[in-house]
Amino acid sequence: MKICFLLSILAFPLTASAWTEDFTFEKIPNPQGIDSQVGGMDTLKDGRIAVAFHRGEVMFYDPSSKSWSLFASGLQEPLGMLVDDDGSILVMQRAELTRLRDTDGDGTADEYETVFDDFGMTGNYHEFAYGPARDKEGNLYIALGIASNGAPMAEEIRGEFSEIGKANREEMTNRATWGKNKGKAGRMYARAPWRGWVLKISPDGSKMEPFASGFRSPNGIGFDAAGRLLITDNQGDWRPTSPLYDVKKGGFYGHPASLVWAEDWDGRDPLSIDAKELDEMQEPPVGYFPQGELANSPTWPVIVPAGVLPEAMVGQTLIGEMNQPNLVRVLDDEVDGVYQTALVPMFDGSPLDKGNNRIAFGKDGSMYIGKTHLSWAGDTGIVRIKWNGKSFPAIEKIKAVPGGFALRFTEKIDPETLSTIKVESNTYKYHKNYGSPKVDVQQMEVRDAKLLEDGRTATLDLGGLKEGYLHAIDMTGLRTTDGKPLLGKKAWYQMVKAPK
Amino acid sequence: MGVAFDTLRQYLHMKSATIFLFAATTLTITAKPDGVQLFTTNCSACHLLDQMVVGPSLVEMRELYNGKPDDFVKWSIEPQKKRPDAIEMPSMVHVGDEGLRAIYEHVMKVSKGVQEKQQQSGDPFADSPVQAKRPQVQRIFMPDAGPAAIAVALDDGLSLCWDAGECRLRYSWNGGFIDGFPYWKGNGSSLAKILGEIRYVEKESPFPDSEQHKFYGYRIEEGLPIFKYRLGERMFTESFSPMLGGGGFSRHFTTSPLSPGPLELDFPSDQSVEYGSDKGTWTGSKLKLTSAEAAVFTINILFK
Repeated sequence: MKICFLLSILAFPLTASAWTEDFTFEKIPNPQGIDSQVGGMDTLKDGRIAVAFHRGEVMFYDPSSKSWSLFASGLQEPLGMLVDDDGSILVMQRAELTRLRDTDGDGTADEYETVFDDFGMTGNYHEFAYGPARDKEGNLYIALGIASNGAPMAEEIRGEFSEIGKANREEMTNRATWGKNKGKAGRMYARAPWRGWVLKISPDGSKMEPFASGFRSPNGIGFDAAGRLLITDNQGDWRPTSPLYDVKKGGFYGHPASLVWAEDWDGRDPLSIDAKELDEMQEPPVGYFPQGELANSPTWPVIVPAGVLPEAMVGQTLIGEMNQPNLVRVLDDEVDGVYQTALVPMFDGSPLDKGNNRIAFGKDGSMYIGKTHLSWAGDTGIVRIKWNGKSFPAIEKIKAVPGGFALRFTEKIDPETLSTIKVESNTYKYHKNYGSPKVDVQQMEVRDAKLLEDGRTATLDLGGLKEGYLHAIDMTGLRTTDGKPLLGKKAWYQMVKAPK
Repeated sequence: MGVAFDTLRQYLHMKSATIFLFAATTLTITAKPDGVQLFTTNCSACHLLDQMVVGPSLVEMRELYNGKPDDFVKWSIEPQKKRPDAIEMPSMVHVGDEGLRAIYEHVMKVSKGVQEKQQQSGDPFADSPVQAKRPQVQRIFMPDAGPAAIAVALDDGLSLCWDAGECRLRYSWNGGFIDGFPYWKGNGSSLAKILGEIRYVEKESPFPDSEQHKFYGYRIEEGLPIFKYRLGERMFTESFSPMLGGGGFSRHFTTSPLSPGPLELDFPSDQSVEYGSDKGTWTGSKLKLTSAEAAVFTINILFK
């Protein structure tokens, strides 16, 4: 009997690879001799895919001939790309936002125009620069990562040095004594201007407005279909698990190091401010990626265009993930005007694998996933994913309702399996430590699970929802009327506001 | 069962017999912290089974800590910098003693009998057709320069470092170009190496108003950059050409001042080079250009 029991468990993983029934996964050929870690990706008007690589090459992939051509080179760690309407290409590199232009029409960039470089750099490896995202008025938004005490500052820095902090400049710079002084620096630090900030830049680059603060390693910045500026960040100090933010002007998003650059900052060392005070200042995440389960290092948000996924998912947001072998779907919800999300794995258990850093869409409805690792866990190269156009079982929408959730699926659900849905809630501790374990984990009692007349909408009565808690809805046991499990079996709903 | 299921998914690559064994074990010990889950959550971003990435491999951890769980826990709670080329691990104190011991057991179990993957020595992309091209422009962290430096190979024998953060030439060298692998192999925590011999260093900008600088980028012509920047009220373009045999280089300037006036350049008095120009009057290492001369001029820097 024990053997039979084990076999029934083993049956689950086999069906988990069902993504391949509805999607094809194909590794596209890498350009020869190029370190194929992808930092930026976008689609050209003619359908070619523009890719920025780790060592600074910008190359175009032509899907019809499966060949590569070189457009530009020599950039430093590009981590974001935007193809402009006039054919020029904006690329964010470590030191600046650059516009690449081919002015003589020979197919390669001859102009590397500095659009914006008025921010500081301490020379620390962790000061990655991300972006741009563009709003409807054409303004550009960039996000600046902060430095890690895994290394000191360089002797020469760009921009002003902030004297605020326990370690002075000599201590922040001296490699020989760094082992002794790094504790004073803070786990992550922002001693040069605008590190940890999102900056809003006018279309021509001439004006800059400090837009929002509190970021750590925001390797994902983009507008969603509703015009919200979504930014992901990475688990670490002051980041209990990786968060998703809906970023508003003037908001503070949790990591205190950046506060030294706030206009009216009172001069206190933000790293020694009580967590409680900071907690009251910070804007809450609209989504949480539980570490080790959904994402450890979420990446770029993109809007799903028509033809790539089923109609109901068009306009939804997709986010990449570097350390776990999946992407993440964002299910939007709103309670009393408060935006919040449920996050669902996509392509988990598929051949996609890890390293998923940037996403672009081909004109033929295919998705290109560019990978990187930068010496962390990840991968290289580009995977092309193509949907077969057929419906597949998945969660389409999750709505928080008074007392519980309403869930809509893409296909009819076997009512017999509804009772297998489990919901667990937890919160996290906001503190300077690196990550937080789940706090106050509780299995929530599903008092009632009902299927509505359409056969694909279910309501879960949980007797109440918990504000400030992550609600993990486990739908592993759920089956459609023809016996199929869902693709994306779990959803993590962050309850910023519970409906009354 | 939920725990066992999650655990099993991690082990799909193992032979089914092993899965059965493993499943049977975990089913009986579900009360203990789940080492696999804790490892995935806290360690997997930086530690792979059989090769060093950010941190050492599980195989190496086994060599270091097999039979020494206390040492493993102690190090995880209070890590230190051990490897000159690696960053220091953050403390894992939040995982707790029991959790760390569960991770220890997991690490020892999966690394048993596994060999460290042979690390490729040297740069696997050293022969990149893009990097090998001359001339070449490459932005990268450079020694003895600001963090917005640009390395330029003028030809096979002469290169220079131009600092976009300060809008000025920093130094030039003979020999090869740069080895960017120390920087590129990881996440940028090491500088590029200069391949060759430094022949000229410009400690300070020879131009007036050099503190008020703004960088506008560059154009590429024939593979070489033409830098565009402003110092004070004067716009500059600066481009370079190598002298035959790596014996020096020329710097070609155009300037367009908002209000015309003479331009005085004050070069470092450097015994190892000889300055020259196509225009203006030299007094020692100082060059005086009239307003008209300053519009277009060339400075020659000849290595002695």
